Amino acid sequence: MKQLQTLSTLAWRNLWRNYRRTLIMTSAIALGVWAMIFMTAMLRGMMADMITQGVNNLPGHIQLHHPEYRADPSIVNRFAPPGDELLEQLNQADIKSWSARVRVPAVIASERASRGVNLIGVDPAEPLPLDGNLLKDGRSLETESDRGLIMGAKLAERLETRLGKRVVLMSQDPDNNVVDRGFRVVGIFESELSATEENQVYAGRATLQKMLRMDQKISELVILTEEQRLLQPTVERLAQSAPHLEVLPWYELDRFLGTSVETFDGFSMVFIVVIFLALSFGLVNTLVMAIFERTREIGLMQALGMTPASICVQILLEAMMLLLIGLLVGNALVLLSLHSIKDGLDISGVAEGMALMGAGSVLKPALHTLDVIRANGVVLVLGIVACALPAWQASRLDPITTMNHT
Amino acid sequence: MGIPRLPAFAALMGRICLLALVALTPHTYATQTPLDARALLQAAMDHWRGQTSQATMSMIIKRPDWRRTMTMQSWTRGEKLSLVRVLEPKKDAGNGTLLNDQQMWTYSPKINRIIKIPSSMMNQSWMGSDFSNKDISKSTDILDQYEHQLTAVEERDGHKVYVITAIPHEEAAVVWGKEVLLIRDDYVMLEEQFWDQDGELVKTMTTLEIRELDGRPVATRMRMQKRDYPDEWTEMLIRDIDFDVELGNNLFTLSNLRNPRQR
Repeated sequence: MKQLQTLSTLAWRNLWRNYRRTLIMTSAIALGVWAMIFMTAMLRGMMADMITQGVNNLPGHIQLHHPEYRADPSIVNRFAPPGDELLEQLNQADIKSWSARVRVPAVIASERASRGVNLIGVDPAEPLPLDGNLLKDGRSLETESDRGLIMGAKLAERLETRLGKRVVLMSQDPDNNVVDRGFRVVGIFESELSATEENQVYAGRATLQKMLRMDQKISELVILTEEQRLLQPTVERLAQSAPHLEVLPWYELDRFLGTSVETFDGFSMVFIVVIFLALSFGLVNTLVMAIFERTREIGLMQALGMTPASICVQILLEAMMLLLIGLLVGNALVLLSLHSIKDGLDISGVAEGMALMGAGSVLKPALHTLDVIRANGVVLVLGIVACALPAWQASRLDPITTMNHT
Repeated sequence: MGIPRLPAFAALMGRICLLALVALTPHTYATQTPLDARALLQAAMDHWRGQTSQATMSMIIKRPDWRRTMTMQSWTRGEKLSLVRVLEPKKDAGNGTLLNDQQMWTYSPKINRIIKIPSSMMNQSWMGSDFSNKDISKSTDILDQYEHQLTAVEERDGHKVYVITAIPHEEAAVVWGKEVLLIRDDYVMLEEQFWDQDGELVKTMTTLEIRELDGRPVATRMRMQKRDYPDEWTEMLIRDIDFDVELGNNLFTLSNLRNPRQR
């Protein structure tokens, strides 16, 4: 123990013999660690944003459909609203809220144009009545038998119609008969994604059920959960109580989003390792230089009775101290820089591109403790491993040769 | 292109129906004045029910740089059943459309298939003509889906002309703000105007020629024109029409649509 203390003192003093080199190395480590954690936090923030938007657009973390619905989203593939068994599962604690919706393809026509749209029937009392889109003008739906229609600003523009005017919606009933009905536009919504603005329209669920002659049946059940990523147990439980329905979490409903998120997960680790590799060359070089400068000294210490193991430990201690100081400064930098942008980084300059990726124009970093531990751990552990080679070589030096060395 | 444009044969039929129903109304109604607007249309409709017709007609589509003429034959029974078959030009000959109430099927000999027209195709226009599929399967809409008002009675060429303003019900599947119909006292429709919800005229169907056919006055040349496109229009010419003809029971069937037996 005493010996370790002596070795520590030696290591510490050695560290500051060439303080310039130490300071440069420390700042390199600090910068590296800062980059690792800061970029990971940014990526996490972007991912969380993408998931939130994706879940708003789908909408929901989990959706229940008729098994054929996703292949053919027509009125034929409808199902009865949840029965007792499913209702019980839906009232469990891990489910935040749910809503039953009608969703069928339809054609919308004004005096001057017509377009294909997704006609969505919602109950405004249930969550996400507009899929997270913002009402820009007019009113929202009041009840599930509201007779008004809410459409996107872009669609209104395309149809040359506006708030307060009537449009006609056409679709098919379960027997393939044409059904149509006039609706007054009572609200205009805007969305970050122009595609949504152009091809989603919302009406009262009961109104649509009547128009489409589908009784109480619905097209989809949308579920919001407390947990964002680990949905498998909930999905399995729901699937058990609704065996005739297809139960899918968001990462399978929106494969692109699911895969992107997974890729980002892996990517952050790759990022950390790449930065570390660049860092490790500097670190090993510093240590090799320090040993090279002190070759005679090491020989002398060995001649005076210091064991090779102690030499090795001393050099490793020196490396560890260097790393720890760097990590300390780096983490402080991270906290400082994240604090300065805790309200989000305005990236509206590239908002259009980000919108394509499904992310918003304000980037909010998300610092996960696990990411911090991972980055610090990688630097510390791999750093010491990288330094083991020069340290071991130093302990192998022959005292007689080294002392004769000039 | 063969398939999507077919439905508009039926679009044509819708207009023919309206025209025919007006033409078919017996002259006795004409003496009953003053008429309330809805009764005027209702009487014509009631009489139309159960009646039959057989007609040969042409359709001319005019565009700034081209013009196209088609000849076709049509049969109707009541207000719900109609069948149209193209005779000319040769490449479209044999294409047929069957209408039963709001349902619509088309048949093309080139692919030897009957296709039911889905709702998504109802708003499409036919070969760029000024009729849409929707215009058609809607022969009784002008009665059921509108509030009617007799807004004026005019004198024109020694005839009385009733101007009827029809405003669609709140939830009617109609995009127009209002329609204005000009009906002569012998029940020939002179004009049908389609107004948008801002009070602007969008398109007009005008009768350009009235002739006596099979003992009745019939609008034999009608033109549908959008107001914003002055050199684009679609005209329908009735070459020949017979009313109250004997029609076989299998005429308005899918099998006859595919394998024409004519009567």
